[in-house]
Amino acid sequence: MKKINIPLFSILIGCCLIFSATAFSRSYDDIIESNEIIVAVYNDFQPFSYKESDKAKGIDIELAKAIAKQLGVKLRLRWVTADENVEDDLRNNLWKGHYIKRTVADLMLRVPYNREYSLSRDDIGELVHQHVHMFSPYHTESWKIIYNNKKIESVETIAVFQYYDIGVEVDSIPQFYLSSAFRGRMSKHTKQFMSISKAIEAMTVSKVDAVMGLSSQVSYFQSTIPTNNYILAENAFPMMGQQQWDIGMAIKADYRQLGYVIADIVEAMVVQGDMERIFAKYHVLYKKPDFYQEI
Amino acid sequence: MIKMTKTKVLSLSMMVSLAISGMANANVTNKDILNDQMTTEDVVSYGLGLKGQRYSPLKKINTDTVKDMRTAWVFSLGGEKQRGQESQPLVKDGVMYISGSYSRVFAIDARTGDELWQYDARLPDGIMPCCDVINRGVALYGDLVIFGTLDAKLVALHKDTGKVVWKKKVEDYKAGYSITAAPMVVKGKVITGVAGGEFGVVGKVRAYDAKNGDIIWERPTVEGHMGYIWKNGKKTENGISGGKAGQTWPGDSWKHGGAAPWNGGTYDADVDLLFFGTSNPAPWNSHLRLGDNYFSASRVAIDPDTGKIAWHFQTTPNDGWDYDGISELISFDYKQNGKTVKAAATADKNGFFYVLNRKNGDFIRGFPFVDKITWASGLDKKTGSPIYIDENRPGDPADSKDGKKGTAVLAAPSFLGGKNWMPMAYNKDTELFYVPANEMEMDIWNEPGSYKKGAAYMAAGFTLKPIHDDYVGVLKAMDPKTGKEIWRYKNSAPLWGGVLTTAGNLVFFGTPEGYLLGLNAKSGEVEFKFNTGSGVIGSPVTWEMDGEQYVSVLSGWGGAVPLWGGIVGKNIKHLNQGGSVFTFKLPK
Repeated sequence: MKKINIPLFSILIGCCLIFSATAFSRSYDDIIESNEIIVAVYNDFQPFSYKESDKAKGIDIELAKAIAKQLGVKLRLRWVTADENVEDDLRNNLWKGHYIKRTVADLMLRVPYNREYSLSRDDIGELVHQHVHMFSPYHTESWKIIYNNKKIESVETIAVFQYYDIGVEVDSIPQFYLSSAFRGRMSKHTKQFMSISKAIEAMTVSKVDAVMGLSSQVSYFQSTIPTNNYILAENAFPMMGQQQWDIGMAIKADYRQLGYVIADIVEAMVVQGDMERIFAKYHVLYKKPDFYQEI
Repeated sequence: MIKMTKTKVLSLSMMVSLAISGMANANVTNKDILNDQMTTEDVVSYGLGLKGQRYSPLKKINTDTVKDMRTAWVFSLGGEKQRGQESQPLVKDGVMYISGSYSRVFAIDARTGDELWQYDARLPDGIMPCCDVINRGVALYGDLVIFGTLDAKLVALHKDTGKVVWKKKVEDYKAGYSITAAPMVVKGKVITGVAGGEFGVVGKVRAYDAKNGDIIWERPTVEGHMGYIWKNGKKTENGISGGKAGQTWPGDSWKHGGAAPWNGGTYDADVDLLFFGTSNPAPWNSHLRLGDNYFSASRVAIDPDTGKIAWHFQTTPNDGWDYDGISELISFDYKQNGKTVKAAATADKNGFFYVLNRKNGDFIRGFPFVDKITWASGLDKKTGSPIYIDENRPGDPADSKDGKKGTAVLAAPSFLGGKNWMPMAYNKDTELFYVPANEMEMDIWNEPGSYKKGAAYMAAGFTLKPIHDDYVGVLKAMDPKTGKEIWRYKNSAPLWGGVLTTAGNLVFFGTPEGYLLGLNAKSGEVEFKFNTGSGVIGSPVTWEMDGEQYVSVLSGWGGAVPLWGGIVGKNIKHLNQGGSVFTFKLPK
């Protein structure tokens, strides 16, 4: 009996260690000691984080690898299915865990970096994001239109979409904007798709004449189309609220030391041009956040 | 083994039922399911009969005796998964079948509370069911126990062993689908809807062969989508829902219309129709989809043989408040001017109670069942359409393009509904409906400074607020003929469980505070009160066994309410989680 008990006991300890490694976000010291960092990235989200024949690829994957390498630890990815908004994603993946499993990551990428947002308060006056610390903006995102120049001569202003079909992702700002701006004059030509990749696919088979989406996604998908008649437009988006915003990352609020170390790594990558090189590898337009502008 | 012990203690009523059914431990037949409401020795369908009246003719437990009711046994669902028990038990041949949270099923000896078997569905990583880990119950057919999982599968287990007989993927969980409602079996078909209305999915009702899980038909609940029927295994077009696309949706917004039938359905054999409620349309911003948006926020009557839509009734056209139309439609007959009216009733999230002609969906009458409704001033007397108060519709985000928070609109009921998923009950003796309602309102506004998947996003912000200082939940006895409220029982926390009523002049239901309550069906007086130790959000049942009447309910706080909170949060913050079945009977 005793002989059986000893290995059983050690298995139990093993279980608990694995459990504790994922059930709570961890401090810098714990990450270094365990020789592993868990980084949350979105599922199936080209060009940021996706799988190609089971291999993780994308801008955020390369960034996560670089951070792990600089920390001298192994990288474990936590693939995240997006919830209704980023607030939910932070709760599900960083500080509380989703109620199905209650496990979390140490770091989450692609989190907006916006002081007003990080300090927002809920309906009873509590800080919405009190459990997380958002830091290290690594690029600036915006909206962009790509169009088929065999169908549309040029996109000087968005007024052309009173006459040409444009694809958007369902329940996104481009959908809101094109369906309702200028009293809905473009709404008839606004076609919805479950994702930007689906919209681009439709454009390449001439089901729509243009697509509006995230600048990063649109420029990446442009590079995946073999023909060169799909052009990035330079138009403005009048009457649209937030036209560009910074993308950074987040950790659990208790682990600032981890944040400082990662912030130094990311700053060096931005300043020395490594970040831009990662974006260029995926043919994505890169805009450096104002945070790093030299004064 | 169970059969052996039971034959020794056969009571008179068992003898009678044996004579009728031919043998004990018989498989569940279509007839058993159709007669469920009147056969007191078993509960073989969700709703105690497919009509969903949740009425039992049993009366040994009544307003005189109920005060003596004691626990016969308590069963723990065990493990670390102690939350969100929204299930209704089924009972057949001395065995109770329940579903638990996290897609579990248990078979329990209904006499002793001993576990016979347990089934745990293996849930994949990354499933995102909208509103907690709940399941509302199983269906029985033949020797099978059938239920839907959080990863949107139908699973049929053998009733004696709990082993999987067949398993079918209903939808792809990765696209945001799940199943939480109890399936139903009509004419040998398992019929189920799906949940997932917030992800831009298209709602569908599907029928499968209960014996082997082969699909029979599929009916989209959004106008413009093709339905299908399988003939000799061949998928055949079966008519576009609503005839054609684009009649009540602008542009191509119908392609991702929502309208998920996530709360299951009811059936009435007289008119041979299934009744399914559908969720709100997608996306949330109603200004992007001007038009009625068929068949969102509706009751849809479907032919069980062909899967065709016979009629529909829309409770909230162009919904802008998240007023899902998923409340169950309960068939009932009443007499007026000497004539029998074949009616059906539903208490909607939007705060109105509707009485419809169940043959054709015609509106008979409607009235508020909550104290405050801000979005409509009433219902059109002929059609039942709401008379909107335009200034109380949440604003168009296009008007707040400057990036500032939009103006808040006060809306009552709240998005949790005047009544939500929890089923009401109809008592044919008192001729009253017992409606589990919540008196909450919400501030709702456009919030441009939010983000979705790292992209700027225009979200809706909202705050839940109680309407009354001293209570949120309220059980109301409503007269469907006059619209009069006969009595009300007030409860501090929101009500989130189903109701049962009996010929013993009783109304049973649970509260988040943990109580199973038994109220006098005529007066609303509390006749029975028992604290189960965790919030009750399940639906109680009653049946007869060995000549004694039993009452059973699941206890285990969870569900959608604790996921929201707001100011209402203070009424529920202290509530403890749990996971147990409580079974009661009178002392011998």
